[in-house]
Amino acid sequence: MADPTTQTRTLDHGSQPERFARGWHCLGLASQFKDGKPHAVEAFGGKLVVWENSKGELGVLDGYCRHMGGDLTQGTVKGDEIGCPFHDWRWGADGRCKQIPYARRVPLRARTKAYETVIRNDSLLIWHDPEGSKADYDILPPELPDIGNREVYTDWIWNTVPIKGSHCRELIDNVVDMAHFYYVHFAFPTDFRNVFEDHMATQYMASKGRPDVAGGYGDADMFLKSEATYYGPAYMINWLEVDYKGFVTEVILINCHIPTGPDSFLLQYGITVKKPEGLDDKTANFIGKKYADMFGDGFLQDVHIWQNKVPVQNPLLCEEDGPVYQLRRWYEQFYVDVADIEPEMRARFEFEVDTTKANEYWHEEVAENLRRIEAEKAENPESSDAGVS
Amino acid sequence: MASFVPTSQDTVEDQRLYTQARLVEVECLDCLARVGVKKNSEHQTSVQWTAEAQAQCPDLVRRKAAADGARLVHARCPRLAASIEAAVADGRIQIGAEDGY
Repeated sequence: MADPTTQTRTLDHGSQPERFARGWHCLGLASQFKDGKPHAVEAFGGKLVVWENSKGELGVLDGYCRHMGGDLTQGTVKGDEIGCPFHDWRWGADGRCKQIPYARRVPLRARTKAYETVIRNDSLLIWHDPEGSKADYDILPPELPDIGNREVYTDWIWNTVPIKGSHCRELIDNVVDMAHFYYVHFAFPTDFRNVFEDHMATQYMASKGRPDVAGGYGDADMFLKSEATYYGPAYMINWLEVDYKGFVTEVILINCHIPTGPDSFLLQYGITVKKPEGLDDKTANFIGKKYADMFGDGFLQDVHIWQNKVPVQNPLLCEEDGPVYQLRRWYEQFYVDVADIEPEMRARFEFEVDTTKANEYWHEEVAENLRRIEAEKAENPESSDAGVS
Repeated sequence: MASFVPTSQDTVEDQRLYTQARLVEVECLDCLARVGVKKNSEHQTSVQWTAEAQAQCPDLVRRKAAADGARLVHARCPRLAASIEAAVADGRIQIGAEDGY
């Protein structure tokens, strides 16, 4: 066999999965669907209809009527059912056609795809499984205490970003990507750990902002402590403690997505801030907005990378890199039949990276950047915005 | 059904290298749970558990029950950490990666 150290390395783009992940997927804040109208959500290569029944419960069905293919998302909510705009077939949240106004009987086979739903942390979650299994309520993301209590937390700031041309695994890869926090988000990671186990994958990280570049995760005065766990393939809770000049704020960031096609997904993120004691609502909301903007910009920095990169099945790692292959092995469990899940996909794996070496190098680079900025300022005193490219 | 299928045999070999190569079996001096350990540097440690080892570690079992599935137990078991340190000290675990793996 040829010596791999003298060969040119090639990127294996691989082939993408032909299915969408099994597990709980978040469609967004439940409140947005509660206006008596049908709502369209693109998901799993098709379209879903979401509506609220008379009891305040949300129903989720495949968006197209099994009669003649009418678009239910353009229909009308009638009582507890959604009526098709084409011939007014009335569908219930259990997936059965309840009534056809012009017919004596409903065909026994009038059943459509219905999704099991749960409201969790103010959001609507649905169970998706290509094998058609019953929803697994044991692996739901945990309920966050007091999250719906406006005395304790600010209102959600909820944003969506459609991503085209990337498989959602690109987003998952970030869980292990210690170094990108420096290059993409302009923060020094000072502590970094991963644990994968069962249906969960976690990243623990502490970081502080870079003084030489603006627009990342804060500036040199900002310290972040972050614990971020994926509960299944598409819903992450990120507990954040932001220390800005000694003023500590607790932030909850929900990072979730819905795959919409083989290489597209809808990224969603929601932010709520625990109201610091002694602060009025206006100030607390202002802080919430500020952090939502900061993490929102962070996602856009990632998005820019994803939309310009190529898929790679064989990433080449250096010894300081995180466990990309182990994370992908964990993620694979959601794409194979339950019967084909290998024990190592769910077995506990722990990783702790030494950030000392990388940080020594990065601190030198930052010091050099700061020297250059100073020198440029001295040469060119009028230009105040000399920055790092 | 497989997913994310590599198109090259070399990729399959890479998967093996990065997930299995250099994993040294370490037995906990306390509960005798066996895990795979790899150290790319002094302060970097990978620990690969098996379901069997997880069930055998009383520390992990206790903390997992207490967390009730809400948050992942992340702190390392201190007895296992000590066992890994002992294995490093007597040279059973080599520190330093081989070309990144």
